[in-house]
Amino acid sequence: MPNEFSETVDKIVGNYLNRFKQRLKSFPEQDRDELVKEIQSHIYESFTNDPTENEVERIFNVLDKLGEPDDVIASRMPEAMVSLGKEKKRPLYILAGVFIALFALPLGLGGVAVLFGLVVTLVALIFSYYVTAFSLTLAGWLCAVISVIKIINPYFLDSYIDWTPIVSDPTLNGIITLSISLITAAMGLLLFWFGRYIMRGFKFLISMPFEKIKEMRKKRRLNGISKRQEAHHA
Amino acid sequence: MDNKIKQLRKGILELAILGSLHHKSHYGFSLIKAVSGESDIELTEGTIYPILARLSKEQLVTSEWVESKQGPPRKYYFLTPNGEKAFKILSAEFEKLANMVANTSRKPLSQNKNENRKSISVKKEKDDAE
Repeated sequence: MPNEFSETVDKIVGNYLNRFKQRLKSFPEQDRDELVKEIQSHIYESFTNDPTENEVERIFNVLDKLGEPDDVIASRMPEAMVSLGKEKKRPLYILAGVFIALFALPLGLGGVAVLFGLVVTLVALIFSYYVTAFSLTLAGWLCAVISVIKIINPYFLDSYIDWTPIVSDPTLNGIITLSISLITAAMGLLLFWFGRYIMRGFKFLISMPFEKIKEMRKKRRLNGISKRQEAHHA
Repeated sequence: MDNKIKQLRKGILELAILGSLHHKSHYGFSLIKAVSGESDIELTEGTIYPILARLSKEQLVTSEWVESKQGPPRKYYFLTPNGEKAFKILSAEFEKLANMVANTSRKPLSQNKNENRKSISVKKEKDDAE
């Protein structure tokens, strides 16, 4: 700073500029230097032109008029505020946060891989669930049809399938296998029916982090717009 | 009402800044003094600098650092050729708008009023005749 300032004033200005620089850490170096230099120049010019006699009072006047560093930066570089590095990582933090809430797993950003693994496992589980349901239903119906035919014709497909009779009477045997087959098929259908609820829960689980991210983005956009408007209007 | 005033000022202030820079290049502080001048419209750094930032982003103004005899170097702003063009177009437009506002907010002439009334009564008579 110029040596025209007294020690006290220099300290006050130094403090202000330090706060200013701290807020600007994430900006490109060139923009940062330009802005700080211009603010410095502005403080000097307003200070030397302000009629207030007391120096300390005068410098506080000047800085008050200029505004807090946050406001100055926000009104000048609305676009830059949005692209701050910190904000970019936010969706990942939300995702990690949601999983911490759901599974009580303390995840850092590195834990996103674990998270991905969890999702894959869930998908695999659901897939195998449906395969089971499908095979139970198919086998159940097939066996039921074969049982019915076997009641009428006990030697049907005997050369291809080997069913050990449960009771010696073919008709009773047929009825027993038919009931078992139908129960199997019903179990498969029950699994399908129940699957809807599982899918619903799964969808909710998957969509929740994305919904959260969408919400945050919307809010941020609105904030950005209102801030920009304020800046334009001021 | 505050919002309306702010809105009205926004574009006009931009034009005033272009106008000041059209005559002479300025650094931030001197521009504030030049634009607010003798008018009692309060202008602060919080208003001027964001506009300057926007104008340089739109490449209507550009800046240059100039060493000062006293204190730190000053950042001088001046109009680019595009800025000059924009100033000419905008100030012509502003003049038209200012004229329009002056004309419309003035009381309509009494002569016109009578004419209006006449035409209405003529129409009415026609309607009656039919």
